[in-house]
Amino acid sequence: MSRTYISRHPLDDLLPLEPGIRAVDHLDIPRVVAIVSVMAMDGEEASVAAGLAASGDASARFSGPGEWLAVSQPQTAESLHRNLSLLLAETAYIVDQSDGRVVFRLSGPNVRRILAKGIATDLHPAIFETGTSVNVLCGHISVNLARTGENEFELIVMRSFAVALFDDLKVMGREFDLSAGFSVRG
Amino acid sequence: MASLIHCPHCGVRPKEEFSIRGDASLVRPDPEASDEAWNDYVHIRSNPRGRYREHWQHVAGCRRWLVVERDTFTHEVFSVTDAAAATVAREAGR
Ligand SMILES: [Zn+2]
Repeated sequence: MSRTYISRHPLDDLLPLEPGIRAVDHLDIPRVVAIVSVMAMDGEEASVAAGLAASGDASARFSGPGEWLAVSQPQTAESLHRNLSLLLAETAYIVDQSDGRVVFRLSGPNVRRILAKGIATDLHPAIFETGTSVNVLCGHISVNLARTGENEFELIVMRSFAVALFDDLKVMGREFDLSAGFSVRG
Repeated sequence: MASLIHCPHCGVRPKEEFSIRGDASLVRPDPEASDEAWNDYVHIRSNPRGRYREHWQHVAGCRRWLVVERDTFTHEVFSVTDAAAATVAREAGR
């Protein structure tokens, strides 16, 4: 595929190119993630949910009734869009959001205490189980929050809010010496 | 102000995640209705002390419109339903 525009990450000027010293609580920022929004057609909500769950190559993040963000790291945005369009043809509307969203991956033993400073949802491990995802307010910014591991959460935010959310997360994590950097995985 | 709202789609959330439109019990008049009927519908609002049905939108969450039934005096929330479901229920009850 040919790129006409230069692709820049909104945090390019705020993070070092080389990974620095990593603290136990770390904010990992992947540079490229494929994200598409999936919106079920009327009456197709259950079949789209089942189709998304069955497709192993993308993780579905709940954002509202019949609406999800499908997220995939190994795939390119084009292949994710194409695969889901084939899988969910005639049942859902699929739109690429990859350039419009930024993913933050927060992990470490204090991750819930960090998030609790901005998010008013119960994040107790028994309540917010691995795989759960919701749209939620973090401070003044609306994000999609997902629990992706034992002590790992992902926040997906609109690109234009990425710098503000990054600043907020740094302040929220300062007490725990939160480190931040671009993902080494790309 | 009721501070915790149980969104049927997202769970318990703080009121800051919502935007409030107002009275949910109003019924849109017929297009041919009198100017007075339309004036009442558009501008005239009661300000009850007690039980009240309002439209709340969960803007920072699922973005759905909800019908919140609450007490303006005690702040108690009686019910929260999706506005689409509430309309279906109301029309079925006619
Ligand atoms: Zn909601």
